Amino acid sequence: MEVKKIAVLGAGVMGHGIAQICAQAGYPVNLRDTKDEFVETGIGKIRKFLGGSVERQRMTQAEADAILRRIKGITDLKEAGNDVDLVIEAIVEDINIKKELYRELDQICRPDTIFASNTSAQSITEMAMTTKRPDKFIGMHWFNPAQLMRGIEVITHDKTSKETLDAVVNLCKKLGKEPGICKDSPGFIVNRLLQIWYNEGLNMYDEGIAEPQDIDTALKVAYNFRMGPFELRDLVGLDIALASTGTHYWELMREQFRPPRCLIMKVKAGDLGRKTGKGFYDYRSES
Amino acid sequence: MKIPTVGIVGEGELAANLQELLVKADFKVIASDLSGDYAKQVVDVDLVIEIAPEDIAVKKKVFKNCDAKCSNEAILATTTANPWVTQLARATKRPEKVIGLNFTKNPFEEKYLVQIVRGLQTSDETIQTAREFLARVGITAVNLGETPGFILDRVIASIVNEAAVMYSSKLATKEDIDNMMKVCVNWPMGPFEFADILGVDKIVEILDSMSQQLGHRYQPCFLLRKMVDAGWLGKKTGRGFYVYS
Repeated sequence: MEVKKIAVLGAGVMGHGIAQICAQAGYPVNLRDTKDEFVETGIGKIRKFLGGSVERQRMTQAEADAILRRIKGITDLKEAGNDVDLVIEAIVEDINIKKELYRELDQICRPDTIFASNTSAQSITEMAMTTKRPDKFIGMHWFNPAQLMRGIEVITHDKTSKETLDAVVNLCKKLGKEPGICKDSPGFIVNRLLQIWYNEGLNMYDEGIAEPQDIDTALKVAYNFRMGPFELRDLVGLDIALASTGTHYWELMREQFRPPRCLIMKVKAGDLGRKTGKGFYDYRSES
Repeated sequence: MKIPTVGIVGEGELAANLQELLVKADFKVIASDLSGDYAKQVVDVDLVIEIAPEDIAVKKKVFKNCDAKCSNEAILATTTANPWVTQLARATKRPEKVIGLNFTKNPFEEKYLVQIVRGLQTSDETIQTAREFLARVGITAVNLGETPGFILDRVIASIVNEAAVMYSSKLATKEDIDNMMKVCVNWPMGPFEFADILGVDKIVEILDSMSQQLGHRYQPCFLLRKMVDAGWLGKKTGRGFYVYS
């Protein structure tokens, strides 16, 4: 099946960028959120991004206008989902809220509509099984900012059909993105390996082997990593980092995913990274 | 203490590159291989950099010989990638002046990163002198204590091992795993590309050493062992995770 029209559910950090990329590739998009103001905020961000592109002469004003015209802001779920070939869901990372949404969508959408979840943390299999169309259920994990990051993880589960996979892989390519196929599993490819990379850095600090700055500098200077594990942890926020590490550890049940002691202690002390002025590094002199 | 004269004991790419860098930075360099009476040649140097094969017995002999001939002030540095600084210090009568200077060449650019490795008895003064020396040569350095694999190999071996587990369990293809790390989070290379460049045998060696000293969780994935058995060691043998022609 060929995707011709798309609904993006959730106009937040990921959803608005996803909708923009789909519209840029020529697809009509229903961008849906629960309140008018959320939808307007999302479309406002798209307008701002496109305005920047026009300013930098990456596209003409006419092109930007055409992209915006392809995006229809909607709050009614039925209106958003009843005439599309693909739904990309990018709502809050709460398994119960997501399941509830999928039960509702299953009634609203045509039987041949594909459901793709942008989740990074929930089980694709578990969500698929709340619908009567598990063969048309797949993961489509985008990275932030969706407009700029080139890769999309395409997540299959045991019942995902070949047609569904092919349709979504083809779509990724038409969107100018590079798909990577991964079976449903905790952290998929990217977050699982990142987790190891973070943890091994933090473990060495816990063991008294080296300071954050030495570890970050070594990885950046020797191998051209753009940021080190401590800098990235501070940027994302150590509370979020700890929660994500905990989830991986819980799901994978292996020692290498265990939250490092230094991360736990920083969170207890309220030093959560850049957002509180201090994490593994001290940023207070910067502001 | 300043370091006007540096002795390089050993051969190979690193020895040659280092000599060039030191001369450029106005150091006097005395380079000698391991065949002759190298210890006699390095009598008057302020720093000896040992670049012998990764064999603890060979390195110990170099340290013992240099210790006997060099001035009491001289620092003896090993470039080993193994946590052997404390052991090598024991072969000398100047354990506080023995230090590790492990060089890693950046695979994308012509530059080195040095991991300055502190042994149990290495003095603060020795570390400080080494830092100043490297700053003068224009090489970025980081400090660390002894641990298998040091910072870089430990991190890279860990990600290669996890990626090998994921690939073995058929979660994804090796190409997709490598590519996603590059295009989704800007890694410079994917884990399997790192493995092929560093050598699958070296990765297994580091993981074995880590699992012996740090715990079971670092045990190398079975696939990595089988690749070593097959001689698929990476770029250097023409085949690792990928085939090179």
